[in-house]
Formats: sequence, C-alpha cells, structure tokens
Amino acid sequence: MHTRKRIWNLAVMLGLLSLIIASCGSNAATPTSAPSSTSLDLNNWASIEQAANGQTVNWYIWGGSDSINRFVDEFYGKALKERYNITLNRVPMADTVDVVNQLLSEKEAGKTTGAVDLIWINGENFASLKQANLLRANWGQSLPNSNYVNWANPAVNLDFGEPVESLESPWSSAQFQFIYDSAKLQASELPRSYAALKDYACANPGKVSYIAPGPGAFQGTRFVKQALFEVSGGAEQWLGKFNQQLWDQWSPKLWDYFNQLEACLWREGSTYPKTENELHSLFANGEVDFSITQAIAGAGSLIKENLVPASARAFVFDDNMIGDFNYVAIPSTAPNPAAALVLANLILDPELQAAQILPENGFGLGYGIDPTKVSDPALAAKLTNAAQQLGDAATPASDLAKSLRSDIAAEYQSLIEQGWDANVLRK
Amino acid sequence: MSYRIIVWVLALILLVPIAIFLVYAFAQGWFFPALWPERWDSALFLRQLADPQLRRAFGQSLIIATGVSMLALMFGYPAARVLELQTFRGRGLIYGLFFLPTVVPSVATGIGLNIVFLRLGLAGTLLGVMLVHLIPVLPYVVLTLGSSFARYDRNYEHQAAVLGASPWFVFWRVSVPMLLPSLVVAGVLAFLISWSQYVLSLLIGGGKIITLPMLLFSAASGGNQSLIASLSLIFITPLLLLLGLVARYLGSPATGATPRP
Amino acid sequence: MAKLRRWLGLAPASIIIIGLFGGSLGYGIAQSLGWLPFLGQRQLSLAAYRNVLAGEQLGSQWWQALLFSLWVSLAATLGSALICLGLLSSIAERQQQYRGLSTISNLHLAIPHSVWAMALLLVLSQSGIFARLGFALGWLDQPSDFPVLVRDRWGSGIILAYITKEVPFLLLLGLASLHQQGRDYLLVAQSLGANRWQRVRLVLWPLLAPSLIGGSLLVFSFIFGAYEVPALVGVRYPEMLATMALELFLNPDLQARAEGMAVSLLMSLIILAVIGLAWRWRRAEHQP
Repeated sequence: MHTRKRIWNLAVMLGLLSLIIASCGSNAATPTSAPSSTSLDLNNWASIEQAANGQTVNWYIWGGSDSINRFVDEFYGKALKERYNITLNRVPMADTVDVVNQLLSEKEAGKTTGAVDLIWINGENFASLKQANLLRANWGQSLPNSNYVNWANPAVNLDFGEPVESLESPWSSAQFQFIYDSAKLQASELPRSYAALKDYACANPGKVSYIAPGPGAFQGTRFVKQALFEVSGGAEQWLGKFNQQLWDQWSPKLWDYFNQLEACLWREGSTYPKTENELHSLFANGEVDFSITQAIAGAGSLIKENLVPASARAFVFDDNMIGDFNYVAIPSTAPNPAAALVLANLILDPELQAAQILPENGFGLGYGIDPTKVSDPALAAKLTNAAQQLGDAATPASDLAKSLRSDIAAEYQSLIEQGWDANVLRK
Repeated sequence: MSYRIIVWVLALILLVPIAIFLVYAFAQGWFFPALWPERWDSALFLRQLADPQLRRAFGQSLIIATGVSMLALMFGYPAARVLELQTFRGRGLIYGLFFLPTVVPSVATGIGLNIVFLRLGLAGTLLGVMLVHLIPVLPYVVLTLGSSFARYDRNYEHQAAVLGASPWFVFWRVSVPMLLPSLVVAGVLAFLISWSQYVLSLLIGGGKIITLPMLLFSAASGGNQSLIASLSLIFITPLLLLLGLVARYLGSPATGATPRP
Repeated sequence: MAKLRRWLGLAPASIIIIGLFGGSLGYGIAQSLGWLPFLGQRQLSLAAYRNVLAGEQLGSQWWQALLFSLWVSLAATLGSALICLGLLSSIAERQQQYRGLSTISNLHLAIPHSVWAMALLLVLSQSGIFARLGFALGWLDQPSDFPVLVRDRWGSGIILAYITKEVPFLLLLGLASLHQQGRDYLLVAQSLGANRWQRVRLVLWPLLAPSLIGGSLLVFSFIFGAYEVPALVGVRYPEMLATMALELFLNPDLQARAEGMAVSLLMSLIILAVIGLAWRWRRAEHQP
C-alpha cells in the first residue's frame, strides 16, 4: 500500500516536470526577429543625438570601486544631462560576467529589446558575446570621436587577441605594473625581471604572491603570460597566429619556473589571492611586498581610495609588461541604442579623456585615444598636461614605454589558465 | 557553563561584526599593525547615506521585502491551514514539494527562472522580483504557520459561527488574533529572507531593479573595507530593528517559528 | 465542496512552488542535458554528466570538490550540532526561562551569511584584528606568525563561519522543544536517581533529537549548496561544489553552462539522498 502510494506520487511529479519542460520547449522555437534599432544612421550624427534626447542610458559597469563610481557619475552623468539631456543609469555589477548571462537569457527568451544599453567589457566577455552574436555591429569606427582612436594599432583592434571589428569602442588603456611600498623598499632593491623576482622571493620567503590566473582574474593570467615571454627569450615570437608547437616547446619551462618560485611564495604557494583586491589587501597589511595594478596612474587611485598606504609606488620590469585597451560595447538588444552611442562617443571626448587619467579624479586608467591624433592645440595641450600630472605614485612614462608589449592570440589565454591550474595549483 | 555566560558570549559574537563595521566605516587607511585607526573620516559614510542610488535601492528593497511578506502570508496562510487541519491523500507529497526549495541550491534554479520570467514579461519588474523571492520564502512561512495550526483549536471558530458570526468576522476576530504571534514571526522571517536575497534579485531584476544586497556585493568585489562596512551597516540595521521589535514574539515557542539556517 | 476549498487553499502557494520552482528546475535539467538553444543546440545528451563525473580535468575537479564539500558541510554541521547539544544540556536543568538566549539567538538571524563572512575576514585574517592584538601584545612580529584561520586549504575559515552562524539557529530549534516539558522530565529523572549522563542520553536527547536532527539536515543542505561564504573566506583550490558549479556556469565558454547545471543538479541529488537516508534511518529507529 505504502509503496504504491509512493510510486503514484513520483509519477505525478515526473508528469508535472515533463509538462513544464514541454511548455518551455514549445516557446523556444519562435524565431528571434532582428533588432528594431538598426535604423539609426551613424552618418547623420545629429539625428542620433536627437533620437537620444530624453532617453535614459543603462550602463552596466563593474561597481566595486567607490572612486570609479563617482568618476562616472560626476564626469559622464553630468555631461550627458547638460549636453544631450540624457539620464545616466549606472548599474553596478559585482562581476561583468553577470551581464553576459543576462544577455544570453534575454536571447534565449526571445527578447528583442533587453535592459542593457552599454557594458564596460573585458576581453573574455567580449569574446563570449561576439561568439553568441549578441553585440551591436558596425558602430565603433563610425563614432565622430573615433577619429582620435588609433585603429591601426593592433593593441586597439584586437581585444585579448579577438578582432574588435567595430563591435566595441575603446574607453581607456592599461599596462601591467607592480606596486611596492617606498617606505619599506628602495627603488634600487626592486626586481626588474622574473628571474630577479624569484631571487627576491627566495631571499624574502613568504613576501611575494600573485593573483591566481583564471576566468575573471586576467591580471594573474597576464602575470604568467609575461613570465612565458621571459623564459622563452622574448615576446616577439609569440605575436601573430596561435602556434601550438611553440607552446609545447616552452610551457614545461614555464611551469618549472613557477614550481621553483612556489616554495618561496606567500604561504609557500599553498593558496593564492583570487582577485586583485585580495592582493592589494595583503600588500596594504604588509603580508606581501608587491601588488599588481593596470592603472596608468599607478598606485595613485588606490591611495586615493585608501586601499594601499600613501607611500605605495608603481614600477615595471625592464621588459614584457603587457599593455592593452579596454572597451565599451552595445548589445544588439539595447533599448536605448542612440543614447548608448552618444555615451560611447562622449567617452572619447579629449577633455574627458584628459580627466580620466588623473589620479585625483578616481579613475586612473590611461588614454583610450591617441593624443597625437588630436589636432586642436588647446585640447592636445590638455592631454599632454594631464599626462605630466600623474604624480609620484605612477610609473615613469619612459619605463612604461620601454617595457610595453602587446597581448597575444586568445588561444594562449585558456592554455595558460588550465595549464597553471593543473601544473602549479593542483600539483 | 552557566546560562548567563552563554548568553553573553552569543551577544558578543553578535556585537563583533557590528562593532568592526562601525570602526571600518569611518576609518581611513587602517592597515596592519595599527590596532586603532589613525585617521577618521565620515565623508564616505555620509556620501553613501546621501547617494541617490543607495536611497533608491533601499526603497526598492523595502517595497520588495514588505510586499513579499504580505504575499507570503496571503498565500501561506490558506496552504498551512489546509495542510495542518485536514487529512487527505497527497498531503505528504505537497508538504514535500513545499520543502524542496529549502534544500535545492539556488544556483540550480536561478538561471532557469530568469528565462521563464523573461518570457512572462516579469523580469525587471518589482512584481517579478517579489514573486521569485516567494520561492525561498514560502516554505518557511508555511512551516511556521503550519506548526502553529497544529496547536490550533478550531472550536473557537465553530462557536463564533454558531453565534452567528460571518466567516469574514470569524477570520478577523478569532483566527487572526489567535495566530497573531505566529503571523508576525512568519512575516518577519519572510522580510528577512527577501531582504538578504542577492542572486535571485540580480537575475530577475536584470539591473532594472537594484536592491541593497546588489550594491553590497558589487562593493565587496572592490575590496574597499570602508565602503563594504558602510553598506553592511545600512544593510543590517533595519533587520536588527525589526527583529528587536518582535523579539518577544520570537522568544515564545507558541509561534512555531521555523527559522532559516 | 470541502475538497474544492482544500485545493483552493493550496492553490496560490502551490502555483508558486510547482510552477516557478518546478519550472526553473525543469529548465535546469534541460540545460544540463545539453539543450542550449542560444547556441543552436537542441539535441539532448548526457555528455555534460559524463564530463563532470569522468572527464579528464573536470572529473578530478568534481571528486575533489565533492570530498571537500562533504568535509566542510559535515564538519560544520556536526560541530554546530554538538556545540548546541552541549550548551543545552549544560543549562537545561538549571534554567526555567530562556528568554534572553532566544532573543540573542534570534538577533543573530539578522546578520546574513555573506555579511558575517566579511566581518570574520576582518577579525581572523593574518592581518586582522586578532593578529593586530597579538602584535600589540608582542606575541607575533609579522602577519605570517599568526595562524592561518581564513582562506586556508582545510576550509577552517568556512567551517568557523558556519559554526558561529548555525549554533544560534540550532539553539532556537532546540529551545523550542526544550521549553515546554524539558525541565520537568529532567527533574523527574533526577529524583528517580538517573545520573547526569543518563539524563542527557535518556531524557534530553530524545526530547531534542527531532528538532536537532531536522535542523542539522537543513544546515547540512544549506552549507552544501551555498557559495557566498566559500567565495569570501575560501580559496581557489580546494573548492566547494557550489563554487565549481557557479564558475562553470559563469564561464565565458558557453558550453560550460551545461556542465555547471549538471554539477548543481548532482549536488541537489546528493542533498536529497542524504535527507532521504536520514529520514529512513529515523523511521527505522522508531519502528522497532
């Protein structure tokens, strides 16, 4: 009697579930119609500004930094309202990958008009959205201010090795740097290569760590990638198309380096910080001697936000410091594409570009535009001036230029992440 | 161990996070080995209080959590009543179904719901977020009200009815007063669970609905301790106030409160 | 008529639970079977489950995460249950009213797990408040002298965070069943000559067992499935299943979604199996 009842119950449950699945399935077959927003004419910019008048632009942006939030509200929010009568709705995300999921779900549900107008996007998420065909096409190089962008530069037209193809527009630039505490270390004591870093770590056991490479922690992946450049004797050979042979030749040497380094690391490499902020916190509390940043203002914005001590300074190795650009993208389902285009264009405004690099404004990343392409002498002077006011906490521009390397093919990214996971972390 | 010591230790454990957030919210650049912050600054905390986005998020959280507790009571009351006061075939199955959301991780249900709600046009609306909060909330409300119905004496209702009271009158003047402590506790639990919900709000709100936990989590991803502490304080204060207000109900076993782990 | 009213009463809540919760679960199952319409993939297969359980990299990750999840959930659940039992048995005979204890325990509910984990991090990390106290007292010279309590390989930070959160929760459940007759029974047993251990085993435990075991199962399934605390006070490796599921789910590689769903559904199955087993065991015990 009892078992029969139970079987009956089970049958009811299974029946319900299959009903639900079936009802979901029947809907999914409806084809998604093309987004209605393609009618905007980028050749007639005034018409776009007109269409954007009175709109609200929903900008999904990483919200973990109080100073960046304030920079966005104060500089872009105000300018949008005053110049174009557009309201900025800054949507703070804990992780931009959430936006990718949101867009995927919207697509799956057959929505042609979503919730997201503009995304501050990183290379991984860009590749995902490009793969899923979820980005608005043919606009990045058509913005009026995109004349200031050096599209011929491979660092600009490739995002983490993925061709940009006018699917996004740059916001700012960044370059890998380390941070040290000038109250504890002299500039002359700093390691200037991966080999020297290993020597330093083993002379000061437990005082060095780095961010675990992996999805969402590109800084760690980059740290390992740069070591690959050094152990293989130079970055040039890695440029161009993905080369499996080259990877097979050098990756064992790379894991050798990291396994030798491990014994001298913080907690002997049994654990690694997961994010940049975890490393900042270890550094600020004196647990480790170096942190990692990508900001052109170096430690400046971090000092301003009280994340690191005021005596923090930035430095680079002599070579192999990867630099790149970061972008904003518009989903193909954006409800207010005109306002998103206006904002993307505003971001490239030379005056706002000059404001964004100054550490006191709270953003601190570098120029997305090429200052030499700005012909107006007053604006050009502004950009040059700002670049000279980065303060002590920034790495000298000449050091940055000397060590700058561009990123390499996207395939290496996941090879490094999986290889590090298997050969270093879980070993 | 004596009773008093246990109470004090538990109180201390409760006070530690509040105290530490209070200090961190106003401390500036407070690093090891400093035992006490050298610089204090209330600007960040005050800025959060004045921030329009935070105010809106606070308001929306308040509307959602209040709405959710109302809806949960409206839906949970009849269900708990039927489940406890009647015996019928399938009762165990329904209880089991109501219990499921408490053990199935929200990771497993969150994304699927997102798509269902987008289809229904509920994603990005206050109503949608409230409905989705009901999933983790309802089981606790039904269990809490259910265990109170298990002790419920229906004869009072019958007597009132015999004396000529309308069903509506019986409900408001007999059932509700008798169950009041339990209703209050279930409502507060519902408010609590809804107020703390992050994933479901993020997925269903889709950025159109921004609640306090979303601000808190995005701040947590940035590692700025003062910001995290400020938001944490703003986040837990209403909960502490609310629980403090109904503490006398919560303390009584008659409410049959089924708290959340 | 009575039947109709019964179903009417159940309908609103059932629609939410069965319709919304069941619907999303069904969707998750479909996704784990490789039904990813946004990638144009509509063929069902068990590939995701095969990858997760026996794949080269994912397989080992799964088994390791399963072991770690079991370790953390069991340690935290047993730890909280034992502490709770110990506390209750030490006060049950002397105390008539538990007003203060239950008020404090209730106030603990106001602090969500994530907030609690963040606070714990500030207190217990190697440069946290305790480490600074130790430094001020001259017990340690640098952060690395302080024991690794959070973000460690054994999950002790996660376990600690959960124990401190779940003890008040279990106390509440225990107090409710102790409240009514607990003390009377104990006094009777005492006057009949039962010693302390006998009183705990024969009177207190049977009294508390239903609520404590039920509560512990809730705690276990909650810890097994939650990811906020491990994300905040855990490390990248070893990781818990919930973290693994979410990571796969959020992986920019969209194919990983099916695997993420498979992991979270397998997790749910494990939780349900544990609860089912415990249920059976309880019933078997009660029907000699």
